[in-house]
Amino acid sequence: MLESLYLVYAIFGFFSLGAISSLFTRGKKQHVYFAYIPAAIGSFLAIVLSLIVFTSEDIHITLGYQQIFDFEIFIDGVASFFILIIGLVSFAVSIYSLSYSKKFDDKKNNSNLGMLFNLFIISMMLVITSNNVFFFLIFWELMSLTSFFLVIYEHENENNLKSGLTYLVMTHLGTAFILTSFLFMYAQSGSFSFDSFRDIGIIPDYVRDIAFILAFIGFGTKAGIVPLHIWLPKAYASAPSNVSALMSAASLNIAIYGIVRYLFDFNSIDDSSHYLWWGLAIIVIGSISALVGVLYALVERDIKRILAYSSIENVGIIFIGLGLSVVFASFNLTSLSVLAFVASMFHTLNHAIFKGLLFMTAGSIHYSTHTKNIEDLGGLIKKMPWTGLMFLIGTIAIIGLPPLNGFISEWLTLQSLLSVFQIPSTILQVSIAFASLVLALTMGLAAATFVRLFGISFLSKSRTLKAADAIEVPRFMLAGKAILASSCIVLGILHFIGINLIVTAFNLPYTPLSPFEPLSIIGEDGKSFASLMMPTVLIILFSVFVSIFVLVKIMGGKTSIKKYNTWDCGFGSLSERTQYTATSLAEPLSRIFAIFYKPKNEIIRYFYSEQNQYLKKSINVKFSTRNIFEEFYDLLISISLSVLNKIRKIQTGKVNVYILYIVIALLSLLLAAGSGIIG
Amino acid sequence: MDELSFTGIIFGISQVLLLVSLSPLIVGIMRKTKAKSQKRIGSPIIQPYFDIIKLLRKDEVISEQSSWIFRCTPWINFVTAVSVAFFIPVSLIYSPFGVVGDILLVVGLFGLGKFFTILAGLDVASSFGGLGSSREIMFSALVEPALFITIFVIAIFYGGTNISTIVSSANEISFLAAPGVLFALIAFFIILMAETGKLPFDNQSTHLELTMIHEATILEYSGKSLALIEWSQAIKQIILLTLFVNIFIPWGIADSFSWSQIGFGVLLVIVKIISLGILIAFIEIRIAKWRLFRVVDLIAISIASSMIGVIFFFI
Repeated sequence: MLESLYLVYAIFGFFSLGAISSLFTRGKKQHVYFAYIPAAIGSFLAIVLSLIVFTSEDIHITLGYQQIFDFEIFIDGVASFFILIIGLVSFAVSIYSLSYSKKFDDKKNNSNLGMLFNLFIISMMLVITSNNVFFFLIFWELMSLTSFFLVIYEHENENNLKSGLTYLVMTHLGTAFILTSFLFMYAQSGSFSFDSFRDIGIIPDYVRDIAFILAFIGFGTKAGIVPLHIWLPKAYASAPSNVSALMSAASLNIAIYGIVRYLFDFNSIDDSSHYLWWGLAIIVIGSISALVGVLYALVERDIKRILAYSSIENVGIIFIGLGLSVVFASFNLTSLSVLAFVASMFHTLNHAIFKGLLFMTAGSIHYSTHTKNIEDLGGLIKKMPWTGLMFLIGTIAIIGLPPLNGFISEWLTLQSLLSVFQIPSTILQVSIAFASLVLALTMGLAAATFVRLFGISFLSKSRTLKAADAIEVPRFMLAGKAILASSCIVLGILHFIGINLIVTAFNLPYTPLSPFEPLSIIGEDGKSFASLMMPTVLIILFSVFVSIFVLVKIMGGKTSIKKYNTWDCGFGSLSERTQYTATSLAEPLSRIFAIFYKPKNEIIRYFYSEQNQYLKKSINVKFSTRNIFEEFYDLLISISLSVLNKIRKIQTGKVNVYILYIVIALLSLLLAAGSGIIG
Repeated sequence: MDELSFTGIIFGISQVLLLVSLSPLIVGIMRKTKAKSQKRIGSPIIQPYFDIIKLLRKDEVISEQSSWIFRCTPWINFVTAVSVAFFIPVSLIYSPFGVVGDILLVVGLFGLGKFFTILAGLDVASSFGGLGSSREIMFSALVEPALFITIFVIAIFYGGTNISTIVSSANEISFLAAPGVLFALIAFFIILMAETGKLPFDNQSTHLELTMIHEATILEYSGKSLALIEWSQAIKQIILLTLFVNIFIPWGIADSFSWSQIGFGVLLVIVKIISLGILIAFIEIRIAKWRLFRVVDLIAISIASSMIGVIFFFI
């Protein structure tokens, strides 16, 4: 335990070193190495630390001598699982940043980015390790503020400032809810330590409910659940891409960490029906988030906003799993509860990996083409072959196709949804069947979204010169992406690694899988409900490929391949403008979900002269879709502004009016005291 | 049943070879049926075999715009389609490889093939490819929930997503025991028509930009690649037909590993598949291609039908 404590110090030390040395090498050419190499080492040590905690005992140490300001470090399996995710992602992102941050070299002082980057990662890790309300909130705040400064790093662009402000407001709204929830718990337990929350004993149900709802709203804001997601696409799109990767793949998981702590640590979910509605609420919110997130991702044109909306969708899928786990637990179906929980945590891990990968690729595209609009891209797979390959891996993983990791977690989630028939309640069964309908639709639409994203930006002809002039990104950026891309493959094929990791981390009642065993679910009657063995699937795929390759060679003989123009119906060469665009590709779906998007097609005609409307000079077509939530928030803001403007009228600025207010206040107080209302 | 024995592996592989080699025949029979009922003579039943062999020997012309995605799509399509055949029971109630993958893996592998087909459509930089991809995206996004809810019904009725479990329980239960299964059957039949590109969803025998969906995505293929694509489409079709037959009308399938039973089972399953194919061909000649946005209603019917199936199970 002592060695692991030194490791904790070392991690802290490396990140502080990175932050400080980044500042001290301001303006020097090598400053990127001073900022990001310590971060990479620190992240690597964090991975080591979490693996040590998995295999040996928990770390639980109190530093300090005053009662209230004791810094308690508590790293159990749960914490180390999330530290592992953050460590893995930030390791890859740090290496990526070695080249990526050169993008800002000529623009401004790069060292601030390095410092904030280091602070952001260490504050996330400290949030997870702290075992006390005070320090939890301090580091939470540090995390929010550093990420705020990172979001507005490119503050020359006014849009970035606006999105930073939205982020700041929303994240503090979330913090307020979390704080209130902690205060409710404190009122019951009498101590600010999380240990006292754990063995809080019997507290009234309504307090438990209120504390949970507040915490769910608070952490949910950080996770981006609908309708509190409004900041997420803006902030992720505005931040530099390495930071968006960290925010989406690491800091989002802290919110999930908070909810998991609340659900399974502070409240031991048992078979009392009291927790049932918690689970249902989480499933409903999760389903709505998943569907709304993916619907917006489908019509968006900015790569990073697409990825951000897809984060909302994936949080939804994670929450569906978590909620199911609670529902199963409340019916005392332990093994199903474990299944749903593993599914949810596996998806958390996977989402971190592929979303980190995709944000880094989005950054690479921005790095070499200077645009984030997919309508301007195209043909990148020939200019940036390695980035293209990794983007393809990320795409297949996030859609949930075999043989990558996304398939495993979606398979587990679907399996836990299929097991709902074991719940002894008809209404619940039917409603969860609707949830699975939503999930399946979400998965279908997610596939559409990412096919569109990959197909439009990487395939066919380059639509603009920006894309045509793109070149492959530097080696460090490729290395960072390659780490996460290979994790996608490893976790997909050797799924026992991920499952055993989760089982040991959360200490679940489930025997770890051996590498040669299929992942199987046994039904009530002892028959095999479902099973999966990815390594064998891969062997089958490979041997089929070899045999068909040989067969085609034998049967077909020697043939040649000629390159020629794409078929153009004999009309002459096709231009890049005749290709399908991202908007037209998604148009049929936006028409089907018209009730949601309210698509508007405006056609404006310009004529040579108004008298003769047969000769058209030009035609403008504008296709737009609505964003209901932004309209809702705009309405909210305008209502509150008008109310506040009305209130402002009492502030006239004249002294005699203020004296009048004081007199009125005094008189009313005296009257109140006289009639015995107060005092 | 769960162990992979040597005879089991040999048997499994020969079943796969059977499906792969029979698949063009089904296509031929369906074409012949359509031709006969339209008072045409039609091409011989074994014409699809000739087509594949002819195409395999031809030189290829590929688009200058295309990338390696375009080149590897036919191979991925073929490999995934053939691999799926390993997991489904054909003449025996269980598949020797049944433990390796379940019906969700089958859906996933088909999805992988379709994913690459759509990308290949976008890769060639022609507006036909984009058009086909756009429509294919729309259909596959909407068919996904219908398919999953149908699987949901089947899984809860027959106790598993493991196809061997499904088929063996279906074999024990009499057909009208559960009305929910009937609704699943309707839903699955619609999905079958959609996934194999039959009318009213898609018309694979025309190359008209107003109607084509799948053909538009593969328009640029020629030679070996086209042969692989056509063949894998045929394999996908025979696999879906086999799944349909073995889940909904499995009676007569061999329930133990003996030569006489398996021989009978093989014959019976081929007869069933062919008659289902002929039925689909008859349905196809009775209806015209629907307007693109009307077909969505049919998928909605499929979703609704499977949802009714779910509710029937629980009530």
